Amino acid sequence: MSPLLKNNPRFKVPGYLVGPILILIIAMTYGSLGSEYFLDPSSIIFNTGRYIEIGLLALALTFVIINGDIDLSVASTLAASAGVLAKLYESGVPILWCCVASIFTGLVLGLINGLIVIKFGLPSLVVTLATLALYRGLTQVILGDGVVANYPESFVGFDQRLVIGGDPGLPAPLALFIVAAIIFYYILHRSNYGLKNIMSGSNPSSSNFSGINLDRVRLLAFTLSGTVAGICAVMITSRLGSTISNVGLGLELLAITAVVLGGTDIFGGRGAISGTVVALFAIMAVREALVIQDINGQVQDAAIGLLLILTVLVPQIRSYYVEKRNRRKRFNEAQSRT
Amino acid sequence: MAIKLNSKVTYLFKKREFGIFLFILILLAVFGTLEPRFFRSDNLSAILSSVGILMVVGAGQTLVIVTRNIDLSVGSTLGMAAMVMGMVARENPDFPIFGLIVIAMIVGGLCGLLNGFLVSYGKIPAIIATLGTLAIIRGAVFLVSDNVQIDPNDVPQGIINLATTSPIGIPWLLIFAFLSIILVWYVSSKTLLGKRIYAVGSNPEGAISRGLSFNKITIMVFVFVGVLAGLGGVLYTARYATINPADVGRGLEFDVISAVVIGGTNIFGGSGTALGTALGCILIGILSNGLTVVGVSPFWKACATGFLILAAVAIDNSVRKRQEQNFLLAIRNQRTVK
Repeated sequence: MSPLLKNNPRFKVPGYLVGPILILIIAMTYGSLGSEYFLDPSSIIFNTGRYIEIGLLALALTFVIINGDIDLSVASTLAASAGVLAKLYESGVPILWCCVASIFTGLVLGLINGLIVIKFGLPSLVVTLATLALYRGLTQVILGDGVVANYPESFVGFDQRLVIGGDPGLPAPLALFIVAAIIFYYILHRSNYGLKNIMSGSNPSSSNFSGINLDRVRLLAFTLSGTVAGICAVMITSRLGSTISNVGLGLELLAITAVVLGGTDIFGGRGAISGTVVALFAIMAVREALVIQDINGQVQDAAIGLLLILTVLVPQIRSYYVEKRNRRKRFNEAQSRT
Repeated sequence: MAIKLNSKVTYLFKKREFGIFLFILILLAVFGTLEPRFFRSDNLSAILSSVGILMVVGAGQTLVIVTRNIDLSVGSTLGMAAMVMGMVARENPDFPIFGLIVIAMIVGGLCGLLNGFLVSYGKIPAIIATLGTLAIIRGAVFLVSDNVQIDPNDVPQGIINLATTSPIGIPWLLIFAFLSIILVWYVSSKTLLGKRIYAVGSNPEGAISRGLSFNKITIMVFVFVGVLAGLGGVLYTARYATINPADVGRGLEFDVISAVVIGGTNIFGGSGTALGTALGCILIGILSNGLTVVGVSPFWKACATGFLILAAVAIDNSVRKRQEQNFLLAIRNQRTVK
């Protein structure tokens, strides 16, 4: 390695990225054993379309989790927004207004989550567990058993469209994700709000004394997560071309896994957008590799679950051994002194 | 005498369990007047048998939540236990029933042990660890069963009889349910172990500094809920006679946690009673059955459960705040008297 790169802090890979990158490499190798087309760039780029909703949800969840809260209801919020979209479209509202209404629904539902958590001082875990059921139930009430389909041609197939043509090309969802990631990066790491967000997660009482309006910061994070869920509802409807009441069931597991895998502390106070982005691609690679090797969907979920546990467990084990080594070193130093 | 009676009545009204009991009575009255068939014996026994399964698992979950943890993997654990038991019964039709029940409980206990180790020695927050094992154990059910379901004629008659018959008139299923509630009540209020569990939940640092083994108690509690989930697997098999790898116990964790939270167990740990959990289970059972019988769309059920959790937690919280204020006032008054 050239001396310019070696030991240069500017080119050092942050610790939280090591895990996801390793997983990414392992999954890529495993997948390419299954099929020679697995590493084909255009197939990789087109496969991303199915994971962009998870990615956007994870980006917004990063803010909520850094605050020390959690939002388990994102997938249900997405479903409820998709339900509103479908029902409005069925009753003859133009599709553009349906999309606006869907995003607005997401915003309101996220705001409700935040208001309940903050105004009643309740744990977000319980509140969003309750709204997980509540919003899913609302979706079922809105949609019933039915399927809403027959969306206009101009609306469906968002993921098939290219922003930049060419052979690998740049499909619209990926472009949207890149833009969103850059925006969220600037909000979290370069803006006032991001700093407040991280501070209020790492030490709520001292941030409160230093004049940060904790309630407002947390409320904004919940609203953001709801709004993004509303946007994802539009995307998923456009991608699938139909809406049923169990749309997006279980997406919260994937989104939370992406956030935690990306190095965000589940207790709050630490986290990075770059981690979430890399972790999303790692999860995608794992899923796709397992699909190519023809492995059952439930087992794929199990692999994601295992990943979630390992990413938290491995650093714990590592820090345990590091601490043990340091203790021994200190002990030896003390002995050699005497 | 009058004063004494009065204080007893107010004591009763202050009891959390009494409020749930009143709510159950109101629900029964409403459903009964709307649809007299609600009180038919076959409907009541259907409610009781679904409540029984909830109660068995909820009894264990109460202790887990008391220690500030949560077990989201109970549904998968139940499925794993039922599946292993069903496969043993399929291979050896002459296997004794008691042996099958023990096998299911051991399998459940092993799943609980995994959770316990991850949470205690692995230092992974319980919600993350069990969100992972929820998916992992479900995947393991698929791997173990090779995605083949256990048909009713492979389930021994002795197991199916557990749901309907017993020597003393009420079915074994309910006897097991009551026994597990009584066991948790006994352990939590009459034994030293119970005191330790509550101590760890209400003040972990304090409990550790008093020499309690935090890890041991955490593992014990998780193994306990695992064993009870295994027993729940037996009862599930008894009730439905079919074990489908995808369906068995899916979504059970939500009902169980709702029942425990509605029953007054504090999600931050340290308080909660077996009686409350039992009443919470009955409330959820009556609600979901009653809505269907009255003819409300079953889709409202998820909404209603979500609302109930929110209401229960909000009421709980306001009561706790008032108690704290009263406590502070009492201290202040004492000081001024001196």
